[in-house]
Amino acid sequence: MLRATVEGDHVLVSFRLDGGIDRHLLERIDTGLPTKIVYELELARDRKRWYDQGLTRNTLEITATYDAVARETNLHFRLGGELIESKTVRDRPALLDALRKIERVPVFKVQGLTPGVRYLVLARAILGARMVLAIIPTDVRTDWAESNKFRPPAAP
Amino acid sequence: MGLRDRLYQQGKNTRTLLLGLVGLLFVFTAIFYLLERDREMPAYLVTNRVLLFVLWYVNVVLILAILFVLLRDLFKLFLERRHRILGSKLKTKLVATYVGLSLFPVLTLFVIATELLQGSIDRWFATPVRPVLEQGNAVAQALIDRIQTSCSSAARRTLVDLGTVDLSREAERERLAGRLREMLTENDLDFLAVYEGTDFVQGVVDSRSGISDLPEPGRDLLGEAATEGRAVRTVEPPGGRGRLVLAAVSGTPGADLDAAEAAPSPKPDAAKKEDPLAPDPAEPKPRIVVAGSLLDPVLAERTERLIEAFQSYRQLEVQKEDLRASHLLIFLMVTLLILLASTWTGLYLARRVTVPILALAEGTRRISDGDLDHRVEVPADDELGVLVASFNRMTEELQKSNRALQTTNERLAEERALVAAVLENVAAGIVSIDGAGRIFTCNGAALQMLHQREDEVVGRTAAEAWSDPERSKLAALLASLPDPQAGRDRRSAREVQMVVGGDWKTFEVKVTPIRDAAGSRGRVLVLEDLTELIQAQQLAAWNEAARRVAHEIKNPLTPIRLGAERLLEKHRRGDPEIGPAIEEAADIIVREVENLQGMVDEFSRYARMPRPRPAQLDLAKLIDETCHLYRDVKVGVPVVCEFGGEPLPAVWLDGEQIRRALINLIDNGVEATDPPGTVTVSVEVTEGHLEIHVADTGRGIPAESKDKLFLPYYSTKGRGTGMGLAIVHRIVTDHHGTLRVEDNRPTGSVFTIELPLG
Repeated sequence: MLRATVEGDHVLVSFRLDGGIDRHLLERIDTGLPTKIVYELELARDRKRWYDQGLTRNTLEITATYDAVARETNLHFRLGGELIESKTVRDRPALLDALRKIERVPVFKVQGLTPGVRYLVLARAILGARMVLAIIPTDVRTDWAESNKFRPPAAP
Repeated sequence: MGLRDRLYQQGKNTRTLLLGLVGLLFVFTAIFYLLERDREMPAYLVTNRVLLFVLWYVNVVLILAILFVLLRDLFKLFLERRHRILGSKLKTKLVATYVGLSLFPVLTLFVIATELLQGSIDRWFATPVRPVLEQGNAVAQALIDRIQTSCSSAARRTLVDLGTVDLSREAERERLAGRLREMLTENDLDFLAVYEGTDFVQGVVDSRSGISDLPEPGRDLLGEAATEGRAVRTVEPPGGRGRLVLAAVSGTPGADLDAAEAAPSPKPDAAKKEDPLAPDPAEPKPRIVVAGSLLDPVLAERTERLIEAFQSYRQLEVQKEDLRASHLLIFLMVTLLILLASTWTGLYLARRVTVPILALAEGTRRISDGDLDHRVEVPADDELGVLVASFNRMTEELQKSNRALQTTNERLAEERALVAAVLENVAAGIVSIDGAGRIFTCNGAALQMLHQREDEVVGRTAAEAWSDPERSKLAALLASLPDPQAGRDRRSAREVQMVVGGDWKTFEVKVTPIRDAAGSRGRVLVLEDLTELIQAQQLAAWNEAARRVAHEIKNPLTPIRLGAERLLEKHRRGDPEIGPAIEEAADIIVREVENLQGMVDEFSRYARMPRPRPAQLDLAKLIDETCHLYRDVKVGVPVVCEFGGEPLPAVWLDGEQIRRALINLIDNGVEATDPPGTVTVSVEVTEGHLEIHVADTGRGIPAESKDKLFLPYYSTKGRGTGMGLAIVHRIVTDHHGTLRVEDNRPTGSVFTIELPLG
């Protein structure tokens, strides 16, 4: 579920990742290895019966590091490489929530968008890498998901 | 690409090779350094996703580079082989050898080393480390759990103990400190504090614990405790050593805390709140008791190490595949680098070997095309360099020889042109015949004499060129001569008469053996047209003969006429003694007529001389018998026969004609020699010829008479018919021989009859 809304100067994105975070990923987090989930987000212009026109991209990167002594998981959220939030969770449900549920993150700026034109946000998650034929690394990623279409309001 | 470009490229390749080797050395050093550092690096860095991708892409680039180098050279080799460029086969073999020698060991080593590496990684994790670490981790966690539980219980008891005490009152607060100190001692705690929400109310620290100041539990601990009813943390104590285990328990004054202790559960309302510690005027602040117990530094450290060790092991386990991939990629990268270097070096060496060979091949082609100025310029200092230097020396020598040959050829061409011009312009016909019996050259005079074209003669054998009945006399003449290849041929001269172009011709044919450059023996025929000369000679001879015949006839006619006139006069005078005069005149007339008759008979005999009929003849016997006839003819002039030591070969001659010729020559010799003198008849056999010499010691023959000696009716004796030597000459000529006269030493003449043998 991917939802995009325009509030003020930003396009806020909320979504929830269904599946994707499997046992291996959680095991990796439990070992204390810094584990990243990268959400790739693309703002696109909606074009009927044609390919959507990608306008800009941004990434939301969540790094989870488990501290076995303190029994807590530190989470760092970086938007476009900039740290926007850090928090600590101490149980599995909170961790899964933190990794899966993203609420109202101002991913894109409205500036530059044409009022009245329909836009949408595309998103996919990169959940680490796995090896093919023992030596070929490939990203584990989801398909692109589409948000609702929205129209930026005209400037007051 | 031209050869010069290739040579330039080779020089550039040497620099590239050196640079490549230096670069490779640098890369290997860097890899070795990284591998050394790899031991100190945490596993997650080694298995970093970015590093894995970078390694993989480096490997892909290396694989592509190797494929490019290999395919490029293989394609070039394919094209060279297809265009049959010299040296391509050798280059193919060298490239196959070098690449094979590089690929096989490196790939074999890679496969074996990869198996060893994977086996080693599997063995690392096969050792029973995990159970030990897992148990240690469980013990450490259990210890912390127990302390946390103990602290939680103490905090809860403290919370229960506080009951409904109104801590907002100053007096209660003062008493609280003492109560907390008692609880600290009773529960063997190191820290105990009471909070109203986030507001600190009172707290105590065990002075023996080494904690210098009151620990700050933190807003999140208090918040969690307010939300969840209970929260625990392990923190570093202020100024102290070890680890401080904190447990916070919250409760509302007056609530049933015993029940809460039995089953602590999150407060639904608090959980929903954005900030559970935020003051809510409608509700009292939650009372939170935080109890802390200091874990012994040594124990804390060991506990943490146990946990960390177990975590590290789990990290390695999780990263096992990545670690394996990382090592394999690094190993593959090194292998590919070695492969690239060895393959490239192999190809370079193959090119280095084949370039001089190609240069030599190119040089050979240029020289075969006549470019003797070409030199192979390859900067090689090995055996190929020696080969190139030898090739250049050989070319130089070849050039010198060629120049000398050219000079000689030019001179020969000039001489040949001169000889050809001379031959074309001489009056004599000259025909050369090679060792195989084919006519090699035939000058214009010969062609004109024989009325033939050059293409009818040149390149054919004598029998083919002169096959018609008349010209075949020339072929027969050559056939009658000894085989020149047997080495018995010698110079000979013949007169050949034939009808050519409807005219009767007389040729003097001189045959001379020659030896060509290949050592083969041939012949040169020199034809001289004697027709006009002979006709002139014959005319002169007939004039002379007519003069002499007239003279000879006139001599007897005079007495006949005188006798007849005297008889006529006596008859007119009526001389009675006419009878004796008639008898005398008749005697004179009869005698002179008989002389005339003898002269006419002799002339007829010369004219009617038959063709010789050769038969096998014992020449020695014939000569000896002939000499015997003249043994006592003239006193003081013996006729001597000399045959030498060797027996004479059997010859085919007309015996009667030869005898007649010998008689004429001996008779002339005896008559010309005054006593004391000698007439000697000797025989000499030379190669292919027989010579009979008749030498006298007489008066000799004047030089001016030698030319006319063999003409009919020519005589130096003043008597006789003058037909003797003419008949001898006719007999010798009919036997294909020659007759010549020379002066004898000290006096006299030598007549030589030369006859062919066989």
